[in-house]
Amino acid sequence: MSMKINQRFSAKDIRQYTFRAGLSRTEGGLLELVSEVYTSILGALTLLTMAGALIVALRHSLGVGDESALLASAVAPGFHSVTLLQASATVLLTLAAALLSVEMTMGPVAMTLPQTAWWLGLPVRRRGFIQPGFLKSLIWPSAAAVVVVLPMALGMVAEPTPGRLALSVLCGLGLAWVLYGIACCCQITDSGAWLKKVMGAITLLAPLTLVATALYNNGAGRDAITAANTAWMEYLPTSWPLLVGDGATWPLLLVVLALGLLALVFLHLERITTAQLKASAAAGAYATSSLLSMDATELSRSLGGATSVGKSRVRLPLIFKGGTALSRSVKTLISTHATMALRSPATLLRVLVLAAVPASLASVEFLGNAILIAVALYLCAHFAATTLGATARFSAGNPAVDMLMPLPAKTVRLVHYVVPAVLMTLWAPICFGLLLALGVGSPSLLILAILAGPGLGAATLRAAFRPTPDWNMPAVASPTGPIPMGAIKAFLIGPDLTLIVLLPVLIALIAGGVPAIAFPIQLTLTFLAYTWGTHIRKPKSAKDGGLFGMAPVPVKK
Amino acid sequence: MGITSLYFQVMSKATSPSRKSPPSRPDVVRAEKLEAGYSGKGVCGIVSFSLHAGQSLALVGPNGAGKSTVVKTVVGQLEPVSGITLINGSEVDDRTLDFRREVAVVFDDDAFFPALTVEEHLAIVSAGHGVEDVEDVIATELEFFGLTAMAKSRPYNLSSGQRRRMLLASAFVRPRSLLVLDEPEQRLDTAMRHKLATRLRAEVDAGLALLVVTHDPDFLDTVATKALFIADTIHTMTPRQAATAIASENPHAD
Repeated sequence: MSMKINQRFSAKDIRQYTFRAGLSRTEGGLLELVSEVYTSILGALTLLTMAGALIVALRHSLGVGDESALLASAVAPGFHSVTLLQASATVLLTLAAALLSVEMTMGPVAMTLPQTAWWLGLPVRRRGFIQPGFLKSLIWPSAAAVVVVLPMALGMVAEPTPGRLALSVLCGLGLAWVLYGIACCCQITDSGAWLKKVMGAITLLAPLTLVATALYNNGAGRDAITAANTAWMEYLPTSWPLLVGDGATWPLLLVVLALGLLALVFLHLERITTAQLKASAAAGAYATSSLLSMDATELSRSLGGATSVGKSRVRLPLIFKGGTALSRSVKTLISTHATMALRSPATLLRVLVLAAVPASLASVEFLGNAILIAVALYLCAHFAATTLGATARFSAGNPAVDMLMPLPAKTVRLVHYVVPAVLMTLWAPICFGLLLALGVGSPSLLILAILAGPGLGAATLRAAFRPTPDWNMPAVASPTGPIPMGAIKAFLIGPDLTLIVLLPVLIALIAGGVPAIAFPIQLTLTFLAYTWGTHIRKPKSAKDGGLFGMAPVPVKK
Repeated sequence: MGITSLYFQVMSKATSPSRKSPPSRPDVVRAEKLEAGYSGKGVCGIVSFSLHAGQSLALVGPNGAGKSTVVKTVVGQLEPVSGITLINGSEVDDRTLDFRREVAVVFDDDAFFPALTVEEHLAIVSAGHGVEDVEDVIATELEFFGLTAMAKSRPYNLSSGQRRRMLLASAFVRPRSLLVLDEPEQRLDTAMRHKLATRLRAEVDAGLALLVVTHDPDFLDTVATKALFIADTIHTMTPRQAATAIASENPHAD
């Protein structure tokens, strides 16, 4: 207990010591390093290409440049749409609300769990530990502002000179910093729970207003909502960067406000409690792990920061008396899936919102081109599928639960397939029905999409039961930080099957028609996806198909 | 020369005098009508207690009774629903230097720097507290906790029990006037439990204030000078009564 005390080290000394000691042990061979860097660069290039395609599409849609058949509108003539102004204002509002909500969950001033556990208890000035987190966390909203505002300004500003674009991005940065500052103030004062709820609601509901407006306009005739009715949206603070792009300078006051707010926060950083820093570190770790597991539900939960109260009114039977042991087990598994789905209505709502996103895009004037809708369809289908795969993912992570069932592994896997397949088969007509209501596609395309539904259910299963990276292997250094070997490969399992299953639908959408041959092709691909998604790789020692090489438990009739 | 050696070399150059003994204070911890819980809702009865230097208070009770919640509230990691905790006469605030200098807390945080060794984790704590002879102190504690052979290993290569030992060691490589432990016996083998209990009792006898949550009757009997049974209502007990209560799962046992 009594120890000789010497001069204490500063927070900076301790930070540097931790960093250097860790740096001295970076592992992984050259080949792995090259592979991961290559993949990261490839990913970045893909994103850049997609962003470039989006800008080109926007500019073509606005009548600047040559018209391409691929970029032609997929919306049938005579259908009304939402103005680009309303759409851009809605998108910026949604993104700003999402950013603030995520920042409030993740801190925003953040440290890692080991840092909170091993540093914050030391009797040195805490500022030295917290300040780097404050500055580092500022990078993300800044990057988000550039990534969002620059393409939008490039696409929408009438005369996108470098100077105007720079000012527009600066205003976007100011907006992002103000949001960051607000989130920091909430963290310092331990308040703002209501604000987070409001931002979450805006994030979820704002995109739906686009579809609602378009659907209303298509039936309202003369009472349709016009551009003049929505002109006020241009003056929402979240739209100010676009105003700057068009020549206004007064919105740049946001930057001054942001700098003032950040200075205020900077002065009070040490007021953030250890409990808050630990909570944000835990949220960060949760978000990172769900991101690595590509689990949309978990990622959404982690970013939303919703805490379960541990109580639910939904109670379905899990124990059945009638029938054979096999049928009772099957009923139990299906009932488990249904219970978990019904106990998280937010998940079902999210899946419904995802079904409406492609229609939202199609509802915007100039944006309803087939390529953009196809990309949105693919992404939404994938996220809906992974969201519905939460129960299967849980079973994959906890195989002991499945092992309790007196069923062969193949049967268990098939039962896991039932609920996602049914729900995705229901999701497809909702998504394509909305598109059809807005003049995109045809009844034939709707039928083709319904045929793809069971295949999307198989993609859910493939994503849920994919092999996880070996976390015990040394991490490979990469530009995005240490990544376990095989992590990138694990990311691609699941999304690949979604793409394969949706190929005929997407091609038909882009081509603007559904040839008769598309139906047998779609059925074949759906069947192949089913076979692939429900396939179980047998252990080498297994001869009986039992789980993990074990013989199935005898079934009593 | 490795980073650890360099670090230790720098550490050994520092020459300020030894830390003075803290002035004697009547209460190291005083909880007054403290209600612990979440979202403004208490999870157990209202707790009042005081703890002097040289005393050890054990919190006992069934799983989910709220023992850990009480302890986290006492050390300021949770906002109290109502009531107040004073540590060394001041309202608890884990942001103050005094708190961090005097109070060592070990919860079951399984969070480690993946690239740092056991020894380096302990060096951070020890050096952060300005301990003069870091190398010797760490070596002593590694030996006590049976981790000498694992000193150069990284935490994720250790067993769960070894990681628990490492966490406990982190509380002993630094000065402390109050030690707060949440179920320290968890994942420790019987011999280590006994060794730890004996050491803690010796430190309490030498003036340490100890607040500990435990489910182990023998551990409690060795370590505690008084006990609180945490449930919907709070019962003050002698350590022997508490040990009996744990063993029989009966809070009113004599």
